[in-house]
Amino acid sequence: MRTLRIPTQVHPPVYYERWYRRWFWVGVIFAVVFAWSLASLNINLRLFWEGIPHFLRLLSEMFPPNWAVFTRGRVLWSILEALSMAFLGTFIGAILSFPLALLGAKNITPSPVVRALAKGLMAAERAVPTLIIILLLVVVVGLGPFAGVIAISLGSIGMLGKLFAEAMEDVDPKPLESLTSTGATRLQVIRYAILPQVLPSLVANSLYRFDINLRAALFLGVVGGGGIGFELHMAMNLFRYRDALAITVMTLGVVWLAEAISDRLRRQIIGRELLQ
Amino acid sequence: MNLASVKGLARYRALILPTAILTLLVWGAAIVTRVNLATLVDGIPRGVALWRHMFPPAWDAFSELLAPALETVQIAFVGTVFGVLFALVVGFVAAANINSNRIGRETARGLLSAERALPDLITLLLFVAIVGLGPFPGVMAVALSSVGMLGKLFADAIEEVDPRPVEALGAIGATKAQIIRFAVLPQVLPSFIANSMFRFDINIRMSIFLGAVGAGGIGFHLVSAVRLLEYQAALSAIVVVLVLVLACEKLSDIVRTKIFGQAVLR
Amino acid sequence: MLTVKNLAKRLPDGRLLLKDISFSVNKGEFVGILGESGVGKTVLLRCINGLTMPDSGEVMIAGPHVTHRINGNHQELRKIQRHIGMIFQGSILVKRLSALENVLTGRLGWISPLRSLLYGFTDEEVQHALAAMERVGVRHLANRRAETLSGGEMQRVAIARALIQDPYLLLADEPVSNLDPKNTEMVLDCLRPLTQQMAIIGVFHTPQLVSKYCTRAIGIKDGVIIHDGSPHITRHMQEEIYGAEWEEDTARPVAVA
Repeated sequence: MRTLRIPTQVHPPVYYERWYRRWFWVGVIFAVVFAWSLASLNINLRLFWEGIPHFLRLLSEMFPPNWAVFTRGRVLWSILEALSMAFLGTFIGAILSFPLALLGAKNITPSPVVRALAKGLMAAERAVPTLIIILLLVVVVGLGPFAGVIAISLGSIGMLGKLFAEAMEDVDPKPLESLTSTGATRLQVIRYAILPQVLPSLVANSLYRFDINLRAALFLGVVGGGGIGFELHMAMNLFRYRDALAITVMTLGVVWLAEAISDRLRRQIIGRELLQ
Repeated sequence: MNLASVKGLARYRALILPTAILTLLVWGAAIVTRVNLATLVDGIPRGVALWRHMFPPAWDAFSELLAPALETVQIAFVGTVFGVLFALVVGFVAAANINSNRIGRETARGLLSAERALPDLITLLLFVAIVGLGPFPGVMAVALSSVGMLGKLFADAIEEVDPRPVEALGAIGATKAQIIRFAVLPQVLPSFIANSMFRFDINIRMSIFLGAVGAGGIGFHLVSAVRLLEYQAALSAIVVVLVLVLACEKLSDIVRTKIFGQAVLR
Repeated sequence: MLTVKNLAKRLPDGRLLLKDISFSVNKGEFVGILGESGVGKTVLLRCINGLTMPDSGEVMIAGPHVTHRINGNHQELRKIQRHIGMIFQGSILVKRLSALENVLTGRLGWISPLRSLLYGFTDEEVQHALAAMERVGVRHLANRRAETLSGGEMQRVAIARALIQDPYLLLADEPVSNLDPKNTEMVLDCLRPLTQQMAIIGVFHTPQLVSKYCTRAIGIKDGVIIHDGSPHITRHMQEEIYGAEWEEDTARPVAVA
């Protein structure tokens, strides 16, 4: 049914378009692209259906989880490695982001060129997937968690820099003005007027990034950066399913615990700040 | 010691304990991760050498990389579509103003929460165990990992809808389905689309990473090139990845401004 | 057309809000309900169209051929509700839809869900909506998004939405309370002639409006009806209803010293 157009003498014409007409072309393009993608990816739902009994058999082979895998030491150590990578990486990343954020904040850096460069750098880093960073780092500093730490540090600069800069721009300008008017240098203003106001949110944002980095750290092992992903992958490939389940459960537990602690800390910090 | 400096010191006393703990943690983490500044310093000439090996990118490799790049995008696309579909269903079930059954709602929210806690790699390994290697498990992993986040965003958006038109239509005899279609959907469609595009962006990155782990696509080619020491091909792959990520961000920006710019919504 | 018998409704904490409400309204009447804030006027309207179930008593709606009793049954409720239009304070339109589309949604109680979802509205229904909009003077706003309209315009669109239900009864819950005097007049001038086809029950908080536009007034106090008759409320009756001295020119109850 075509769009209804009702001509009148006194009033402007009225249009009524039914939904399928409005969305027609979008719908067609979408459907075509979707069908084509399904075909070229060989997505065959029958495969899924046939895979289910196979999967159920797998599940039965996974129970009960083999907790003994942790006595071998390597696995437990990998989890510790992942936690340390995430922690150190976030820490270093935050330290590196701080000066970059200062350069990008409107109320601290007057030069728009410098600000644009800083923000551009941060945006560019955000665009680069951590995968690329870790692959290159492994070539340069070798396999292992050290590469992971550097990758996580560098990979956090984009997001933390942006969040920090925004926090700095949101600061109450009065202490800044009063300090500058008494002749304080830029550095002193930062140290005494900005830092105290912005510290809680810096810590909160870093904790947020820590959560993200922990998940990444756990799995960097698969591409060579240390962490539990390697162990898990190995276990699955060697058909040691009971080990795999144990590792998975432990990993999930660690992630859940770390995120819960990080959330508690964040809430405490933000809560205290609100009270101020 | 005058009064001023005593007072100054006292202010810092509260910071002593946290600083000590922090230092301990940093030091411990550095040991565990085998931080070695010497390695880093050694790495610099190696990094320079690497760059010289990588540059210029292998121009002939670009044409070979188009197909895998396309595959990566398709995996993200199909995965996002399935994810959105499931998330819509679960989202409506989880919304308080649509589903009056409290148990059903809490279950839905619980499932969404549980899914968000699942790391991506685990879901991929899970699906590989069911259907084998290739892009199919990748698609399913992308879909499943999207449901948690999208489902929550959708449910929240539905619950934040202006309840008065919803009630007004209920008062004149419209059925639940009609109310959803005419009072809820118009309010919530722009945010659905924006959130889906946002998730698509995330899924592109996930698709690249999953490729590195075996799901096919450009991630796989990148990792292979590095492992085979074909650094120029690797640089080509990196360039393609960057172009992909930036193009998708741009696309998602365009769609989102278009949506919030005009009356999308009928 | 509408008969309410011995209606009672409790508050969540157990106290009785409405104790024993009984009255009848027929086509041609424009009833204004008056009472203090919180006395239960809105609750009463909601019991009439089934949004809330009374704790005891009956509500019966009679059309040309049948009599419906309001009970909790969903299917039956829908059949009754489509005969009852309702407008609210602050007019509740779907902001992102056009005025025309908002008016069309009034017809949903009559259309099968499947057809409304898959197809939308028929050309006849669109014409019908436009005619209703013409009657209330908002046809020129048909394709404007609802959120761009003024308060008075939105309220008249809401009236048009109620009109296309071809209702027996129109309920209005403080329809003009947040409108300026000019818009108030426009909206109430719109409502009055509608009594030719239906009964209108409106909740108001100023007796002056009831006096000017309604054909009948019902005053509620302490859960019962204390006045049911002339729309011109005497000063004495106003004091009864609001429990305080009524300042005529400021139109606000003044606490008795």
